[in-house]
Amino acid sequence: MDSFVALLLNGLNSSALILIAALGMVIICGMMNVINLAHGELIMIGAYTAYSVTQVMGRSFFAALPAAFAVTAAAGAVIERLVVKKLAGRPAETMLATFGVSVVLQQMTNILFGAQSKYVAIPIAGKLAFGRVVVPYYNIFTVLLVAAVTAGTVWMLHRTKFGKRVRAITQNREMAECLGIDSSRADTLAFAFGSGLAGLAGALAAPVRSVSPFMGGPYLVNSFMTSVVGGVASFSGTAAGSLLVGESTALLGGVSNDVLANILVFLLIIAAIRFKPEGLFAKERR
Amino acid sequence: MTRLAKIPAGRYLDFALFLALGLFPLTGLLFYTQLLQKYLVFLIFAYSLDLLWGYAGLMDLGHAVLFGMGGYLMALSLSAQNGVPEFMARYGVREVPAWLAAIVPLPAAVLAGILIPALFAGLLGRFLFSSRVGGVFFSVITLALAQVFNLFIQSQQKYTGGFNGIGGLPGLALFGRPLDLVQGYYLVFAVVLLVYAFCRGLTASRFGLVLRGIRENGARLEFLGYDPARFKTAVFMVSGALAGLAGVLYVPVNGMIAPNDVGMEFSTAAIVWLAIGGRGNLTGAALGAMLVNVVGNALSENFGAYWQLLLGAVLLAVVFFAPQGITGALARPARGSGRPKGKGMARRA
Repeated sequence: MDSFVALLLNGLNSSALILIAALGMVIICGMMNVINLAHGELIMIGAYTAYSVTQVMGRSFFAALPAAFAVTAAAGAVIERLVVKKLAGRPAETMLATFGVSVVLQQMTNILFGAQSKYVAIPIAGKLAFGRVVVPYYNIFTVLLVAAVTAGTVWMLHRTKFGKRVRAITQNREMAECLGIDSSRADTLAFAFGSGLAGLAGALAAPVRSVSPFMGGPYLVNSFMTSVVGGVASFSGTAAGSLLVGESTALLGGVSNDVLANILVFLLIIAAIRFKPEGLFAKERR
Repeated sequence: MTRLAKIPAGRYLDFALFLALGLFPLTGLLFYTQLLQKYLVFLIFAYSLDLLWGYAGLMDLGHAVLFGMGGYLMALSLSAQNGVPEFMARYGVREVPAWLAAIVPLPAAVLAGILIPALFAGLLGRFLFSSRVGGVFFSVITLALAQVFNLFIQSQQKYTGGFNGIGGLPGLALFGRPLDLVQGYYLVFAVVLLVYAFCRGLTASRFGLVLRGIRENGARLEFLGYDPARFKTAVFMVSGALAGLAGVLYVPVNGMIAPNDVGMEFSTAAIVWLAIGGRGNLTGAALGAMLVNVVGNALSENFGAYWQLLLGAVLLAVVFFAPQGITGALARPARGSGRPKGKGMARRA
C-alpha cells in the first residue's frame, strides 16, 4: 500500500512536469494552430538557462525560473517573427521549417555547451516523510508551482485584455481584426508566452532530469500526446491528459516498465483520434 | 495544376544518376562502393516516403518505424541461422522461439519483412484516415509512433539486443551463396531499379492520379465518388512494404541494426532528403538522398555538429526559397519560389 501511494505521488510529480511542458503547446498548437516541432528545443533552452544561471553564474535557482521564462519567450518571439508568421496558413511548411529550427537550436547548443549532459543541483533539499512514504520537498514545490502557473495562465486568458484578444483571434481572426485587434502582434505575444511556459518547464525539469542538447524529442512527443489526448484547445483536458500520462507511466513503471505505459498511451491516442477526435476530455462542440 | 505537370528533365536526371551509380563499382574504389551500396538502400527508403508524402501529401515523421520492422525481422532471422543468438542466450533463452523459427528461412524473413510493415501501416491507416482528423495529425501521430517504437525496441533487450542492437551479421547472399562486395552492390542496384520502375508505373497509373487528386483537394475527390481514406490506406501499405524492403536489405548491407535506425532520427533524416531534393516526382527523392548523404559523409567526419547545423539552415532556406526542393526549383525557375496561392495566405497578415 505504501509503495502504491509512493508511486502515485511520484506520478503526480511527473504529471506536473508533463502538464507544464504541454501548457505552452496548448496555446501554440491548440489555440494558434501552429504545429511547432521546435517545442522540445524551447524546453531545452529553458533547461540550459537554468543550468547557466545556477551552475555557471552561481545564482539561485529561484532567479533561474523567471530567467528561463524570459529567455525562452524571447527566443519564441524571434521564431514566430522570422519563421512561423511567414508561413501562416501552410501547416506542412510550418512543420518543416520548425523542424529546421529545432535542428539549428540543437546543434548551436551542442557547439556552445558540448554534447555531454549537464546537471543542475536540486534547489530544495530534504524530504517529507509519512511513515515509509517519502516525498522530496522539491516535488511538492514543482506540483504547487505548476498548479499556480496553470491557474495563472487560465486567469490571464480569460480576464486580461491580452488574453481576451488572443481568444478572440482564436475564434474568428477576421472579425477580431475588424474590431481593431492587432492580430499579428497578439500572435507574436501568444507564441512568446507559450514558449516561455515551455522554458519554465525545462527549468523545472532540469534538477531532476538530465540536460543535454538532444533532450527535446521526448518532451515534444509527450506534449503532443498529452494535448491530443486532452483535446488540443482545452486546459482542463490537458490537465486531465497529463495526469493520465504521468500516473499511468508511474504506476505501470512500478509494476513492469514504463515503455508499456508509453505504448498504452499511444494506443489510447490512436483510439481517441479515431472515435473522439476532439479529445477524450473535451466538451461537446456547440 | 502546375504541380500535376511532369518534369521532363527529371527522367534524364534519373537515368544520369542510375548510370553513374551503375558504373561506379568499375572505379574499383571499394570503400566508396560499400558506402554507395548503403545509400542505394536509402534510395528505396526515399522512394517509399515519396509515394506517401510527395504523391499523397502524407508527411510521415516516423517512417523509419516501417523500415525498422523489416530490418529487425531480417536481423533476427540472420542472427538465428545457427540456433539461439548470443544476445538472447545471455537472457537465458535456451530454444529458438516459435515465431523466430518461422522466419529463420531467409525467404520467409524477406517476406515477413515486407508484409508485416505493410500490414501494420494498413491497420494504422485504417484507424487514422477514417477519422476526420487533418493531415497534420498524421504527422504528429507518426512522430509519436517513432518515439514509442524506439523505446519498445530498446526495452526488449531479450529479443532485440536493446540499446546495442543486433550486430555481427553476415552479408548479402543469393541462393545460399555469399556475394562479394561488387556482386552485392549490383544485387541492391537491381532491386533499386525494380522499385523505381514499380513506383514510376504506380504513380503514372490511375491510382497515382487519384492520390495526387487527394493531395490537392480531398473533398473534390470524395464528390467524384472516390473514398480518400481507402486510397490513403492503400498507399500507406505500399509505402510500408517498400520501407520494409529497404530495411530488409539494409541489415546485410550494413552488418547491423540499432535503435537509432528505427526512431525519430532516421525518420527525420529521410524527411530532410525529400525536402531538399523535392517531392512528388521520384527524382527529387533520389537526388536529395544521394546529395545529403554523400555531402554529409564528406563533411560530418571533420565538422559533425557544424554539418548538422548547416543541414538545419539549408532546410529552413529550402522551405522559404524553394518549397518544392531542388527538382521544383529546376522545373519552374521562372516562377520564383513557386509559393502556392491559397486563401490561407490571407488568414494571417
